[in-house]
Amino acid sequence: MQILAISPDSNERSQALAERLRAHYRFLTDRDLTVTRRYGLVHARGGNKGQDVPRPTTVVIDRQGIVRWLSLADNIQVRPEPGDVARAVRAL
Amino acid sequence: MTRYWPALLSVALSLGAVGGYVSLLRMPVIRNHPALYLTAFALATAIAALASWRAARWPNLAALVFSAAMLVLGGYFNFALARIPTTAPALRVGEPAPDFTLPDAAGAPVTLASFRDRTPVVLVFYRGYW
Repeated sequence: MQILAISPDSNERSQALAERLRAHYRFLTDRDLTVTRRYGLVHARGGNKGQDVPRPTTVVIDRQGIVRWLSLADNIQVRPEPGDVARAVRAL
Repeated sequence: MTRYWPALLSVALSLGAVGGYVSLLRMPVIRNHPALYLTAFALATAIAALASWRAARWPNLAALVFSAAMLVLGGYFNFALARIPTTAPALRVGEPAPDFTLPDAAGAPVTLASFRDRTPVVLVFYRGYW
């Protein structure tokens, strides 16, 4: 399984975050939200400075490139339960 | 001082709820349940209200104002500020994920389709640290 974490953050900050968490994440930078927008996942003016930010979302994609599981936040505090994501991946 | 223990308890409960939520933000069981801190604020408000009703002295009233303010602010944050307006995503379960190429932390391009036939992919869109 490959985890791709996407945010508008700069590369250096994403790298620092990855190292601090010692996580096997690959951090990708979507600086102007082009991909986030194409996916329909922009939270307009949701940032703390009123800027557009990604809507927290987790997507499980199978080996054929098909979306198999999807979690969209409707509250910025809430994230999917890690167990639910793991189960969705194991079910593939 | 001891007769003001309900007022102290009320303030401690409110502050503890904020401190607990912030410090345990990495635990999904805490983070995903904002109702926990809202319940603590409501309980703190009820304790201070009861104490104020029994003895309308300033420590009790101050605790009541503080806890009620925390309840209002917490409720405003959770039910208004933290809400994300629902918009239709361009993603459906059972349909292909749109392909993309983005730079990784080292600046190397990563293409979603390159994982095809190799391994499942979990995409995590996150707000970032600004």
